[in-house]
Amino acid sequence: MLEQLLSHLGFYIPEVLLIILMCSLLFIEAGYGSREKGRVMVYYAAFAGLFLTAIMLCLNFGHDSMYLFSNAIVIDKFGTLAKLIMVVGTAATFIISLMVTDFERELKPEFLIMGVGVLIGGMLLVSANNFLTLYLGIETLSILSYVMASFKRSDSRSSEAGIKYLLYGGVTAGIMLFGLSHLYGVIGSIQFTEVFTVLKTVEGTKLASVLAGFLLFFVGIGYKISCFPFHMWTPDVYEGSPISVTTFFSIVPKIAGLSALIRITSIFFASNNELSEFWVLFIHLIAVATMTVGNVSAIKQVSMKRMLAFSSIGHVGFMLLGIVVIDTVGYGAILFYLLTYVFMTLVAFYITAILEDYYGTDTMASFKGLVKKHPWLAIIMSCTLFSLAGMPPFSGFVAKFNLLSAIIDKGYFSLAFIAAINSVIALYYYVMVTKYMILGDVEFSEKAKTVNFNNQLIISFLFFPIVFLGIFWEKVYTLAQNATIFLP
Amino acid sequence: MMMSLASYLVISAFLFLIGIAVILSRKSLIAILLGIELILNAAALNFVTYSRFGSQDLDGHIMTLFIIVVAAAEAAVGLAIVIRHFQLKETIHIDEVSQLKE
Repeated sequence: MLEQLLSHLGFYIPEVLLIILMCSLLFIEAGYGSREKGRVMVYYAAFAGLFLTAIMLCLNFGHDSMYLFSNAIVIDKFGTLAKLIMVVGTAATFIISLMVTDFERELKPEFLIMGVGVLIGGMLLVSANNFLTLYLGIETLSILSYVMASFKRSDSRSSEAGIKYLLYGGVTAGIMLFGLSHLYGVIGSIQFTEVFTVLKTVEGTKLASVLAGFLLFFVGIGYKISCFPFHMWTPDVYEGSPISVTTFFSIVPKIAGLSALIRITSIFFASNNELSEFWVLFIHLIAVATMTVGNVSAIKQVSMKRMLAFSSIGHVGFMLLGIVVIDTVGYGAILFYLLTYVFMTLVAFYITAILEDYYGTDTMASFKGLVKKHPWLAIIMSCTLFSLAGMPPFSGFVAKFNLLSAIIDKGYFSLAFIAAINSVIALYYYVMVTKYMILGDVEFSEKAKTVNFNNQLIISFLFFPIVFLGIFWEKVYTLAQNATIFLP
Repeated sequence: MMMSLASYLVISAFLFLIGIAVILSRKSLIAILLGIELILNAAALNFVTYSRFGSQDLDGHIMTLFIIVVAAAEAAVGLAIVIRHFQLKETIHIDEVSQLKE
């Protein structure tokens, strides 16, 4: 028993490392956090820990699928790749958080600690193999997120963001649990594998209650990835939170939630029966509604943070297309999309953050005439926005193209048509920002001092993958496809 | 006297509905947090019930224990955020929490 546990722990090293990292960061912070030296120690320890975790994840990538701790956790290539993207995104967010002054410097170490905690929750969610670990993953993710949203202690907008996140999160988690409890009652197990075997044979009234259970269950996941009926919190929380927290929210919880949704779909709904047809139809409708609502609402926004929030809703709707396919091609395309989306969000939010830092506002006004003040920044921002809109030669185009080709292969022409129209709407509001930057009259005449060499260098580094993945995408795309093959 | 499965389910469904009603109708943030607790308790009761009458394994009981722990953590964090908001705005009325509208 003990030997088995230890051998299982061997495959669980990345998560264990992160837990140790979080505890040690907490101790360093509690001991020396009041001095600048202690804070620097926390930063170094956090980056070293994340780096080690990334290496361990790479080592785990070679193994086949493993079921650990009495089938509570599954380690497979798909999950490991998703976790790797999350770790990279977290590290980049930490860098952004240290470079901008969006909240008090004394609280930065706490942001890092909470960030590592959310990352642990996300990893738990990605590799969940029963309802208990799934629920724990979502709650670890959420509870720490509430605190992060209200990080700016002197600003009531920040605490309001926290309250809104908390209320939505609490209610949806409760509804999800209620659904899960009925699923457990009908099926008699919380293990995914056993649920799957029972699901193949359910019919009649049992089928109806299973459907209701899954609908309630979707509320929880849908809130985490902010898709249509549960998206109302997104713009408010994104706007109220400090901007490095906003960046974090648009990366880790999204990747974790979508990966969990992919795993659930591929385990429960892969076989062709009534249940699977219903689920496909359901996700189909949700995807169309999410895309349309996100993109149409983004048009009239003046706050950059709010616009990016609505555009992130649009992107989630687009990624849900890959789930409609119920095929590893779609899942691989989603993983690739997530990878490119991480870098695009990082660059867009970083540039917004350093401009907000100096001008004190995140409205379009700070972008007006940017090309006359900071040409390099304006070029990078325009390219990133074009990439978000899905224009070649950037990676956003490749990601959207792969998803569209996956759904056209399966014959969902109307869906592809709606997605294409949505891309045009998205292009409109992204190009509006570019227009402000290049043709707009300068509103703030002085140059932003925060646009210094260091910031521009980091932005260029983060921007590099957007171009690189747009041109040399085959290897990475094949990697993402290979990772999804072993999903059950 | 032995209570049947149905009576437990009816009670938990009522708890769930009361929780939703509290969340939708009450205007105090504290009361809304209470409503969330009611929903979580409904789910916890369901898990124990199904474990007792259905599969007879311990999964449901363990789920319930975890739900209780997580609900406590969530309530602690939630109350802390509400207190912070009260210190800044001197109110916990839900209609006052509306600065972040366009």
